[in-house]
Amino acid sequence: MDEPALILQAQHGDLEAFNSLVLAYQDALYNTALRILNDEDLAADAVQEAFLSALRALNSYRGGSFRAWLLRTVTNACYDELRRKKRRPTTPLEPETADGDEVESPRWLADPNASPEESLDQAELEHAIQHCLENLPTDFRAVVVLADIQGLDYIEVATAMKKPLGTIKSRLARARLRLRECLQGFRELLPAAFRLEEESSL
Amino acid sequence: MTSPSFRDMEILSEYLDGQLSPSERTRLEKRIQMDQTLAAALKELRQTRGLLRRMPQRRAPRNFTLTARMAGIRPPVPRLVPVFSWASAVAMVLFIFTLGTSLVGRLSFGAAAPRLAAAPGGFGGGPAAAATMAPANAAPATMEPAPLRTIDQAVQETPTTEAFAKSVPEATPPTAAQEIQPPSALKAPQKTFNPWLFIWPGLGVLLGILALLVWGLNQRAFQRKNRRG
Repeated sequence: MDEPALILQAQHGDLEAFNSLVLAYQDALYNTALRILNDEDLAADAVQEAFLSALRALNSYRGGSFRAWLLRTVTNACYDELRRKKRRPTTPLEPETADGDEVESPRWLADPNASPEESLDQAELEHAIQHCLENLPTDFRAVVVLADIQGLDYIEVATAMKKPLGTIKSRLARARLRLRECLQGFRELLPAAFRLEEESSL
Repeated sequence: MTSPSFRDMEILSEYLDGQLSPSERTRLEKRIQMDQTLAAALKELRQTRGLLRRMPQRRAPRNFTLTARMAGIRPPVPRLVPVFSWASAVAMVLFIFTLGTSLVGRLSFGAAAPRLAAAPGGFGGGPAAAATMAPANAAPATMEPAPLRTIDQAVQETPTTEAFAKSVPEATPPTAAQEIQPPSALKAPQKTFNPWLFIWPGLGVLLGILALLVWGLNQRAFQRKNRRG
């Protein structure tokens, strides 16, 4: 795929060229939206909205990482969805205590029949991480999703978030710290995953 | 042993991502070797990052490609289309105007017919063509005999076709009122106000303006949408 050529053609109104870019990046955008919103339908809506916004604003793209530029549109669409969600709150998935505080390790994650030695399968791991991501402030969540889940470098994340590099570094460190604390609650449930990482090098 | 400061955690996070300069990296590695808490914090950060990287990537549930309709793109318009649009509006104005005037004509002639039918015996409501021709022939003729006749004469006389043509302007029967009026007064009924004469053309023009207005607004909306895009 000759990305620069496709972008240029799309900027000149070639919808087919733009759709080639859509097909190339739709998985990345969908995964980003899914991790930020934790809702498949909302994520799909955000991605569709993001591609429409991208098409309208395509002439404002002035080079650089096109992936980061596209991820910015989906991040903005996710923020819009979260604002809408906030205006129309629904019952939270996480159980709450009598005081209204969220239970740190909800029962749905701790299977009483499973032994501590039993490793979690991929779905449970995903649930645990998603639960911890949910507890992060939106800006921190977006940064960690872009950097650690989508694998963007710092400059790309700064482009996608439209924030200075220093802010990105700081938010990423804070997000990782908070996630680490949250995942401490699942440490016994995730030994295999941690062991694998322990063996990896820098 | 104290827990690392947030600044240290920031540096460890950057170290993990290979964002430190060579000198910063060397300095940090020396500290990690000496400080167990830093080493433990680095291990935990690396584990956390590793878990996040292990998050499965889902496939998009469907294709998010855009259609021309979704993108608000219209198919290219041939150059003559705007001309045709204007022409259709103008044609509509002319058509309605013509229709209107034609209807006005029919309405006025339709009104004259019963008068012709009511003309005194013998003539029996002759062909409409004859009736329509009558005013042209009758107009100068009515100037001579009509004022000279009396009411009695007019009533007693049995009109013939020839006399009728001479004495009846616009194929109307000679009434007593008409007979005693001067010639100028005889033409008065032709000038009666017919509202349809104004309503139909007015309506035509109004509709035409409306069509042009709608077309213009449509064009403006499309241009604005394109500019926004």
